[in-house]
Amino acid sequence: MRRAPVFTILAAIVLVAGFCAVVLTGFGFREPSAGDIDAWADVARRTGAINVVSSIYLNARLFDTLLEVLVFAVAVLGVHFYLTARGRPEPVESIPESNVVRIAADILLPPILLISIYVVLHGHLSPGGGFSGGVIAGTGLLLAAIALGTDTVTARLGPRLLDRAEWGTLLGILFLAFAPIFAGRPLLSDLLPAGTPGRLASGGSILLYNALIGAKVFVGSWVIVRHFVDHRGEI
Amino acid sequence: MVGLNGVTISVVLFGIGLLGLVLRRDLVVKLLALGLVNSAVILCLVSLGARPDGAPPILATPAASAIVDPLPQAIVLSAIVINFAILALALVFVMLLVERYHTTDSHRIERASAAEED
Repeated sequence: MRRAPVFTILAAIVLVAGFCAVVLTGFGFREPSAGDIDAWADVARRTGAINVVSSIYLNARLFDTLLEVLVFAVAVLGVHFYLTARGRPEPVESIPESNVVRIAADILLPPILLISIYVVLHGHLSPGGGFSGGVIAGTGLLLAAIALGTDTVTARLGPRLLDRAEWGTLLGILFLAFAPIFAGRPLLSDLLPAGTPGRLASGGSILLYNALIGAKVFVGSWVIVRHFVDHRGEI
Repeated sequence: MVGLNGVTISVVLFGIGLLGLVLRRDLVVKLLALGLVNSAVILCLVSLGARPDGAPPILATPAASAIVDPLPQAIVLSAIVINFAILALALVFVMLLVERYHTTDSHRIERASAAEED
């Protein structure tokens, strides 16, 4: 019984040492040359987006992002599936929130949602994008859930609407990726023109992808939060 | 002498997370350690792409200096989202295990499941 911790400590030390060795060799990393970075900046110029990062993950490497969204959707589906199959436990008596929290939620929720919409729509112009904007909106809804209770928030949003939005946004993203075929262009290419860089209506399809991904992340994070809150039990 | 930069900090964080993942017996603490490992990897990748006087990778900024390498930042985005997905799903499995064995201790869960098989 005494030997097991020694073994695990040794294994951990070996693992950490191995990792450090990899780091000391620098992962075989070489400093990116100015040409490499210019190549990515050229990608951004071609797409019409100012934000180089979003022009990479929503244009040049869109396929990665699509699969990433699929992984997220599968995780949401897994949470939904396992916690629904588990059945709803005895409802835990909710602790009434103080007026401070409720009034603060009333005041803060609209600006939070507004900021999230701004972050989503300006994803190709400034730091931000669908993922971060969606999480901001989901956090705002979590604040409302703390103040009002998840049941009230779900009832106000409409549970069926949430279910449909969850899959509707995913189908929308996939459709947007495949739609260029119907316009006679290659798969995963832009549907909209590049536009003037710096304007809101620029960057090709990046704006649409950001909006759909924002909605997807918003709904998905809310579904996860709702299931966790519904199934909080006592250990 | 290795300077105190994002990469060295991330190595320390990775080590702490890995030790927590291996040595701690509480499943929830293990998941927190997994989150720490993931954050360390993210920090490491972003630091590798950074340079001391680099501008953010947005073309409209008044370009006093060259922008940093945008590729690690784009790749890290996938890591963040997938980390979130993995943690949420793993927490559900922890909940199922706790419901069945009434403990978050991984050793007790292993012993209880071995006793069930016998």
